[in-house]
Amino acid sequence: MANNAKPAVMIVDDEDMVITSIRAFLRLETEYQIYGFTLPEEAAQFLETHPLEVVVSDYLMPKMNGLDLLAKAKLCQPEAARVLLTGHADKQSAIHAINDVGLYQYLEKPWDNQQLLLVIQSAIERTTLLRSLKEKIAALDTAHSSLKDIQAKLLRAFL
Amino acid sequence: MIDQPAQTGGPPRDAGAPSPDPRQVSELYRMAAVGRLTASVIHEINTPIGSIRSNNEVLVRSLETLVRLLREAIEKGTPPTQKAIEILETLSSLGSVDKIACERISAVIRGLKTFVRVNEDQIRKTDLNALLKDTLKLAGCEYRRRIQLVEEYGELPEVECFPHLLNQVFLNLLVNAGQAIEGEGTVTVRTRTEDGWAQVSISDTGKGILPEHRDRIFKAGFTTKPVGEGTGLGLAITREIVVDTHRGSITFDSEAGVGTTFHVRIPILHPRKRI
Repeated sequence: MANNAKPAVMIVDDEDMVITSIRAFLRLETEYQIYGFTLPEEAAQFLETHPLEVVVSDYLMPKMNGLDLLAKAKLCQPEAARVLLTGHADKQSAIHAINDVGLYQYLEKPWDNQQLLLVIQSAIERTTLLRSLKEKIAALDTAHSSLKDIQAKLLRAFL
Repeated sequence: MIDQPAQTGGPPRDAGAPSPDPRQVSELYRMAAVGRLTASVIHEINTPIGSIRSNNEVLVRSLETLVRLLREAIEKGTPPTQKAIEILETLSSLGSVDKIACERISAVIRGLKTFVRVNEDQIRKTDLNALLKDTLKLAGCEYRRRIQLVEEYGELPEVECFPHLLNQVFLNLLVNAGQAIEGEGTVTVRTRTEDGWAQVSISDTGKGILPEHRDRIFKAGFTTKPVGEGTGLGLAITREIVVDTHRGSITFDSEAGVGTTFHVRIPILHPRKRI
């Protein structure tokens, strides 16, 4: 996210009604840029080219389930927070999600809007922090290697 | 209770175990079948409920905002802002979402209701096409969008039968059809009449029944499903309901890798009445 850009949130659910409802709610409460997808494979493609702050995905979907999608998100954009929003109260998939996909939050349907908003807000904060940390580490790396260069030059000059 | 014919050629049972009352077994199995569907039914209902709940909250807050915008407009003597129109548009879209959501919930409940109707011991004249549609609503929870459903209903006269039992037969065959399909596929339901019989055919594009299993699938205790998923009772009870209780027939065609079709034939007039 550029400093002045709106945070981007992706909502993936094969049910159009879920996307419509969440979108209406977030529009009312926030200034987020919302990307809704009913087809997980399209969402997966979008992930490759568009940096996002949060990915919220349903679990049971045709062709590609939510965990596969979130695994893909982890691969493309490791810093983007991954949230599973599922009506399928299945402990096994929850455990799998937390362990293998590095889930940020596991939410169950029917969801609570305020809770969803809190989760998305803190997820955005976390992603932003992670990204700026990554930038700072990269800057430190550059500084470190240029220092090394200078050191080498100095050594060469004096020896 | 159900008119039980002599048990000649009835389902084989464990020789050592005492024979339980077949009606009780059938009833327990019926409840277990609904139980197994519960997870999918919960999912099917939770999604629209989540939407309605969220929409309700948005509605309340939007109305507060609208009131504020309109008050401001009146105080300033200017027309309401564009924002007010946007809110109204959102609200009207949420209204149609709520309608769809309620219809979805009702359809699932209707399916459950016909299924768990308390044991009726009377033969009823039944519209099998309507009964199938309700059963499909339940099986559809399990299919989700993994499986495409094709419905080809022929014209059927009302059939004299025990509707809750045939419901069980169809649900059983539909769930089996879904389980036979790995990944995506199609389940086709066809109905037609022929010489005093109503025929319901349920086809899947699944893995097919292995030739060596074909003469055992209607036997109690036979299953190829993993423990916890299959009881080995489903097809035995299905056969019993169709053949013993309704004096009908059940047959199947199956080809490995192509799929399986079960044909259930029920006499339109229950034989008991013709005596």
